[in-house]
Amino acid sequence: MNQNSSEAIKELLYKMADDLLIIGHRNSEWTGLGPILEEDISFSSMAQDKIGQAQALYQLLNDLGEQEPDTVAFTRNANQFHNAQLVELPNGEYDFSLVRHFLYDHADQLRFEALANSSYEPLAKVARKVKGELKYHVFHANTWMVKLGSANEESHNRMQAAFNEAWNYALGMFEKSSFEDQLIAEGVFEGEETLQEKWLANITPYLIKAGIEIPASTSWNPVFGGRIGNHTANLSPLVEEMSEVFRFDPTAEW
Amino acid sequence: MYGNAYIDPSDKAAAMIAGEDSEKLEAFEKRIAAGEKIEPKDWMPKEYRKQLIRMIEQHAHSEIIGALPEGTWITRAPGFRRKLALMAKVQDEVGHAQLLYSAAETLGKSREAMINDLITGKSKYSNVFNYPAFTWADACVIAWLIDAGAIINQVANAKGSYGPYCRALDRICTEESFHLKYGHDNVVTLATGTQKQREMVQGALTRWWPPIMHFFGPSDKISNHTEILMRWKVKMASNDDMRQQFLNMYVPKIWDLGLVLPDPNLKQNEAGVWEYTEPDWDEFKRVINGGGPCNAERLAVRRNAEERGRWVREALNTSESKYIVPLA
Amino acid sequence: MIKSLDPRVTRAEIEIENPIAPLNELDQWETYEVFHQKKRGDQHMHVGIVHAPNAEMAFLFGKEQYGRRGLSVNIWVVKTRDVFVSEYDDSDIFDTVPEKQYREAGGYKVMAKINKYKKGV
Repeated sequence: MNQNSSEAIKELLYKMADDLLIIGHRNSEWTGLGPILEEDISFSSMAQDKIGQAQALYQLLNDLGEQEPDTVAFTRNANQFHNAQLVELPNGEYDFSLVRHFLYDHADQLRFEALANSSYEPLAKVARKVKGELKYHVFHANTWMVKLGSANEESHNRMQAAFNEAWNYALGMFEKSSFEDQLIAEGVFEGEETLQEKWLANITPYLIKAGIEIPASTSWNPVFGGRIGNHTANLSPLVEEMSEVFRFDPTAEW
Repeated sequence: MYGNAYIDPSDKAAAMIAGEDSEKLEAFEKRIAAGEKIEPKDWMPKEYRKQLIRMIEQHAHSEIIGALPEGTWITRAPGFRRKLALMAKVQDEVGHAQLLYSAAETLGKSREAMINDLITGKSKYSNVFNYPAFTWADACVIAWLIDAGAIINQVANAKGSYGPYCRALDRICTEESFHLKYGHDNVVTLATGTQKQREMVQGALTRWWPPIMHFFGPSDKISNHTEILMRWKVKMASNDDMRQQFLNMYVPKIWDLGLVLPDPNLKQNEAGVWEYTEPDWDEFKRVINGGGPCNAERLAVRRNAEERGRWVREALNTSESKYIVPLA
Repeated sequence: MIKSLDPRVTRAEIEIENPIAPLNELDQWETYEVFHQKKRGDQHMHVGIVHAPNAEMAFLFGKEQYGRRGLSVNIWVVKTRDVFVSEYDDSDIFDTVPEKQYREAGGYKVMAKINKYKKGV
């Protein structure tokens, strides 16, 4: 692998790992506070999976010469994070958390699915390993989206409102990097545009079943910037919270 | 031996079995004495049912409220390993609540009724969760020592007479053994770490010792009432016996780490019995009755969680749903 | 508003006095009995219940509540009310008279005949 490909792969790994870490953190905030015990347990399992997957990707970065996973994940500043802004938004109510889970997990599953055939074998290996977890996450997301979208007036209205709120942020997940063409050319990754098309095709049938409408494409206005370190005011406090204990004694092993 | 005993009408124990069919009661007690389990649809004395519901329900409440002090540190747990483990542990507590509410349901009290009694303060939960987890080390001390105490209680109760409760406890004890190891690993890491970490864990231990000594409750009053509960295998060990067992197992491990327990009188005498300063039972009662540092917050948070989830639950309720008591 | 040690609680902006209406009947949904198979080839075993509003969610919940430590390869969920249950009070229905030896392997003892036959030959 030449220097260029290494930088391109690192960029890809960083944005994926940061997405997973931050959404895992957000989703973990529901543990013990969920809408019913059984769902609390399920949502917590998925949050754990996300954080575990993030760790696996930071490990790949470590293998490429970056710092230890704990150091990378828990000691950077907010502007050094490459996650899409979608995942850093506060949890809001359960409607928003579920809608974000639906939009994010479909993309996540497709991304990993494509990467299972990546020319970068270490990543392909991780992608194959997480397949089962993602299948559960997406089944969970689909079930909740369809049921709540079509249950009663309140739940439908809530889900639609949360969907509208999340939509442009969700489109922001597909922000292209400067390495885009290179990753495609080298067979590392199929690229954000292809991913977005597949994603749209995958989520649409469930949204139809749920009775949830996608905003007219003329109004689409993707929220970009997350991939290059521009974030909402929500990320910085979250990152500080994550590192609070570490900062108490940076020399210590925890 | 039941059957010939003179029943004093002024005895509280008498009230426990008053009006029960003596033939059925005899068969019931015989079954328990033979080590057989009682199952949900078996005949059982009213008082047996009542005491078990009260006990299992409080246990379930303790799990769901117990998720809060440790949950305090979920977003701040240092590093992947600790964060994943803490999430899994708190998740287990929620899972335990689910198992225990289910066991109590088989006795005829719905989960809704139990939650209602929790959030209105009518039903109690373990006092220990009314104390705050000020630092990361507090969460570690809880994971080690509170879970250790819980295991002693739960292992004893798993040998009780009510089938669904025993089965839930078997599963819970298996999971708690991970909690205990996780907690111990954390405390050892802090105690053998930097000066700041040692101070942090010592501080937490000093704060948590009084609630830990309260954990098993005051000495049992020997009464016919407790005697019957022990015969029915509802109560499996005395509070003092469990406290002794805990001290015996864990004080040496704490001292091994060079940590100090805030009780100058704590020692094991020549007979092997642990001596200690009598815990402040007035404080214990004050906290049980709502006067602890976190009682109000814990219940407000539970009410808030129930309320925020209400629209989700209501939306998915279909008119054809029908509740019947779970089987086992 | 609660200023908690738990940042999640502080963010939720909770009033300390926040009485709520009691949960209604069926607020927690009905129950499903969960059966799991530990490994291929094993019988499915009853492991407990979940409260769920429909079968798909009962599966989603059962999988995590009973299989999150990788102890299951397959799960069945069935509405509690659809299970027909025998009564312990009727447990004598399972009693059988000892003469029903004809359906037990031990009820067939041929060695005595064979030995007698062999001696006679």
